[in-house]
Amino acid sequence: MTDTAAPAVKTGPRISGAFHRLLAFSGLIALVVAFSLASPNFMQTQNILAILQATSVNGVLAIAATLVIITGGIDLSVGTLMTFCAVIAGVILTYWGLPMPLGILGAILAGTASGLVSGTVIAKLKVPPFIATLGMMLILKGLSLVISGTRPIYFNDTPGFNQIALGSVVGQVFPAVPVPNGVMILFAVALLAAFVLGKTALGRYTFALGSNEEAVRLSGVNVDRWKIGVYAMAGGIVGVAGVLIASRLNSAQPALGQGYELDAIAAVVIGGTSLSGGRGTILGTLIGALIISVLANGLRILSVAQEWQTVVTGCIIILAVYADILRRRTL
Amino acid sequence: MSAEVGSGAPGPLVEMTDIDKSFPGVRALAKARFELLPGEVHALMGENGAGKSTLMKILSGVYSRDGGTVLLNGQPVEITSPRQAQDLGIGIIHQELALMRDLTAAQNIFIGREPRRFGILDEGRLNRDAAAIFASMNLRLDPTFKVETLTIAKQQMVEIAKALSYRSRVLIMDEPTAALNDAEIAELFAIINRLKAEGVGIVYISHKMDEIKRIADRVTIMRDGEYVGTVRAADTPIETIISMMVGRTLSAETLAIPNTAAAPVALEVKNLNRGREIRDVSFSVRRGEILGFAGLMGAGRTEVARAIFGADRRESGEVWVHGKRVGIASPKDAVAAGIGYLSEDRKHFGLAIGLDVRNNIALASLPRFTGPGGVLDEAGMQKEAVAYIRTLAIKTPSDTQEARLLSGGNQQKVVIAKWLLRDCDILIFDEPTRGIDVGAKSEIYKLLNGLAAEGKAIIVISSELPEVLRLSHRIAVMCEGRLTGILPGGASQEEIMRLATLREPAMQVRHAG
Amino acid sequence: MLNRRHLLGAISALAMLASAGTPSFAQDTYDIAMISKGFQHQFWQAVKAGADKAAAEFGANVTFEGPESESQVDRQMDMLAAALSRQPDAIGFAALDSQAAVPLLQQAADAGIPIIAFDSGVDSDIPLSTATTDNVAAAALAADKMAELIGDEGKVAVVAHDQTSRTGIDRVDGFVNRMAEAHPNIEVVTVQYGAGDQLQSTEITKSILLANPDLKGIFGANEGSAIGVANGKTELGSDIVVIGFDSGAAQKGMITSGVMAGAITQNPVGIGYETVKAAIGALNGETLPEVIDTGFFYYDASNMADPEIAAVLYD
Repeated sequence: MTDTAAPAVKTGPRISGAFHRLLAFSGLIALVVAFSLASPNFMQTQNILAILQATSVNGVLAIAATLVIITGGIDLSVGTLMTFCAVIAGVILTYWGLPMPLGILGAILAGTASGLVSGTVIAKLKVPPFIATLGMMLILKGLSLVISGTRPIYFNDTPGFNQIALGSVVGQVFPAVPVPNGVMILFAVALLAAFVLGKTALGRYTFALGSNEEAVRLSGVNVDRWKIGVYAMAGGIVGVAGVLIASRLNSAQPALGQGYELDAIAAVVIGGTSLSGGRGTILGTLIGALIISVLANGLRILSVAQEWQTVVTGCIIILAVYADILRRRTL
Repeated sequence: MSAEVGSGAPGPLVEMTDIDKSFPGVRALAKARFELLPGEVHALMGENGAGKSTLMKILSGVYSRDGGTVLLNGQPVEITSPRQAQDLGIGIIHQELALMRDLTAAQNIFIGREPRRFGILDEGRLNRDAAAIFASMNLRLDPTFKVETLTIAKQQMVEIAKALSYRSRVLIMDEPTAALNDAEIAELFAIINRLKAEGVGIVYISHKMDEIKRIADRVTIMRDGEYVGTVRAADTPIETIISMMVGRTLSAETLAIPNTAAAPVALEVKNLNRGREIRDVSFSVRRGEILGFAGLMGAGRTEVARAIFGADRRESGEVWVHGKRVGIASPKDAVAAGIGYLSEDRKHFGLAIGLDVRNNIALASLPRFTGPGGVLDEAGMQKEAVAYIRTLAIKTPSDTQEARLLSGGNQQKVVIAKWLLRDCDILIFDEPTRGIDVGAKSEIYKLLNGLAAEGKAIIVISSELPEVLRLSHRIAVMCEGRLTGILPGGASQEEIMRLATLREPAMQVRHAG
Repeated sequence: MLNRRHLLGAISALAMLASAGTPSFAQDTYDIAMISKGFQHQFWQAVKAGADKAAAEFGANVTFEGPESESQVDRQMDMLAAALSRQPDAIGFAALDSQAAVPLLQQAADAGIPIIAFDSGVDSDIPLSTATTDNVAAAALAADKMAELIGDEGKVAVVAHDQTSRTGIDRVDGFVNRMAEAHPNIEVVTVQYGAGDQLQSTEITKSILLANPDLKGIFGANEGSAIGVANGKTELGSDIVVIGFDSGAAQKGMITSGVMAGAITQNPVGIGYETVKAAIGALNGETLPEVIDTGFFYYDASNMADPEIAAVLYD
């Protein structure tokens, strides 16, 4: 920026953090409007439900990633951990034949346990989060293949398992809008995470850690314990994603998962959460995840060639972060 | 509450004796000693590296001691964590602000002990409690503001509020006024006096002699990790304290100011503007002249320097060097025009602390040492580096010593050498002696005088008035982005302060941020 | 506000780009959505080429999509769901996991959209027909050629892409069973899986060769696996017989240079072509056979240039 820049921002109003959410939200609206105008098939109940369904797994993963990223950390293991949790559910339900709630509980506990391990390695052993979760990513990928015998585990013996994601409790009350349960679970997880972030000590320390970890330590807070807590909670949320994807596919696919962490991180970043920590919102992440799936779905409906879909998604990620940088510059 | 220091108890609040502490390769404390009475302000002084902060970090549970005893209210204690120190009624305000920028003021104050109802944070009570503390400090500040939107001074006040919120009986302040202006310092001292009256013991670490005289009851002086002595502040001359700190007597050097009025103008700045930070600033510096820049924190001095140097965007304004207008869009252009900027924060902006002295000196001039095929001429670099180490008297075992291992004053000299090697004849120094020992300060002053005598044009930005007065041929004073006046070198402190607080009558005072 | 203008401008530009990419539909052309198992891989690009050829020939509009990796089962479901929302006239589908796809396929069938399975097909009776290679027979041919080249005795191994997909299972079974039935003196010492990844398959090959110094040959069960096997052989300076599967420029080059003895080629162009042709047939009310065999060939340096072979090889 040189002295030729317009003197427009002389005493511009203070732009609050809400602005970025507004920006992401208006981006989402703009996309929806553009696609609706471009194709009559876009704004159909069935298609909107398909978009929401496509958002559910990535949305839940992104929420987990948001928690960790706000602490200034990163979790590369969310994708393969999701698979691991799905496989655990498969073992409990299909191999052991136990009742469905135990399978769900098992998946969530497996996620929490893995988060505890990651958090402990990061907080106690001081291994940087990038490395620690990269290691966990591979460990979990391998364990999923080992436990499953490298074959998908099908849930054919657990009737109703695929209703967790695909069924619609809402549809029984309002038959016109059969919102899949998976989507309602996403919203429930989002509400829970937003509550924890905004209203509980765990949430407060999540922001505080990302803002200035040393200051938190000097304030007499048991930094390690809370940090492990954040990773554990993120792990538990990933466990929910594991149940969702297993239910949707009616199987635990052990080879799946790697690469999903990047989509989750993309949703977080588009939603305005800073990778350097200290700031972020669940609502933003939800919008970020929706932008990704609206984009993918809309471009498909418009029969845009797949090569170009990828290019456009990349552009949106860079644009979103650039918008965030502009926002900071004007702050 | 039983662990808290009883306020009515006679005898010292704190007695630290024979404290030893070593870090790998460094002996930080050797038989250090300190005593604090209730209702006393006890200054702790010493040059950088004397061990003041280390000693206080031991008292506040950040470090553990290797040897010695700590008595709190007459009872031996083992303080193993900041949390435990807080529970014992020992609060500390750290030198580097230890705040969480993305949290609000209230959230910062109560971090670690948020009021909760049924496990849910009670934000309303949090803000009310914080507002009550601010009110008791006579501080107008909205507790729901995020810390990052506050000025440094306000952030400092939040730190103090945080320490007060623990109802500490012992309060350690490590350079609390480093970022405060006079009005804010007065507020702080009022708070300190109130705490004193309540029987709180205050440890006051500072380099500023005038503050020590104003606020401290006793002064303990440390040198090289050892206890030197404790004196009464009221009846000990400043010179005595300084000589105890440095271990020798410093002669008060006065400097003969040569007349530079006839010299050609080296740098001229016309109508520089940027938002509310820089408002229509114009001035010039002649060859051989030192132009001091005085003003309160946030007056816009650093902003002017960065705008001239091209480090920040400017909205309008011209820069003329040696009678020619130069377009400066980035630091690269400024350096090409012969302008060097030595920033306030050397470690962040001026010095590559991981590189050695030789490479730091050559850093801005690498093209000159680049031979065919891009290979660097190490021998040439070494020759120049060694020459500057000699002429600037940089204390370093060799030119291959890592810059981070040098003392603050010598790091500053390395940065100066870098710009001299780059043929910069206009040098802008932003707080050149911040964080530098008393002894090294006078060396930097001599160096600046020498550079001016060689015909360099020099701008010195400093928040320490005695420094500005001692160095400058002329003194430019800024207030709220405007240049409120340029005074001759012999101006009085009162006159400078008048210009530094000369606000526009119509200017409404707006909230920080 | 500078930034808001920037972003909205960019979004509308993207939207325009998107609409510019939309082919204009004439009402009388059929719209056929093909969801494959992959996209970047040359094999799938050849299937796409065949589909495009049929589209041009019969005047249909065909889109072709597939997930980035063959493990992304849920991504394929999202693609299928989006394709359904588009309300195409027919769908061509190659399932990564048949079970997972059943609800969506049922939805399509209920909407009266005919479905043609291709490549590994779909384990379901919903598709009207499946255009595919008989992978069991194709792998059996590879086993026969391998036996011929190593003198009908000794140890061999298999490096395959995965053990969950139909092609992976069929090719491994086809090869192993044929050896057991027709070539009793040949022992298949190990079957390993490298996800179709060249590098991973290379490493696997090297470890197999180091563990079995007396090995005589390896069958690489798809393009990525085959290239990996040949690379592993080259890196260790081994002289085993390598038989590959599918084609592609790299594999063809290896056969020309002799690193690879030969390979089985499917007819990917034919798969794409037959899928679209069958879809249009279904829309025109024709009765389709349950399986459309799109054929396979063994090729080596000697017959690569034959017009019949060259037509089904792709770069």
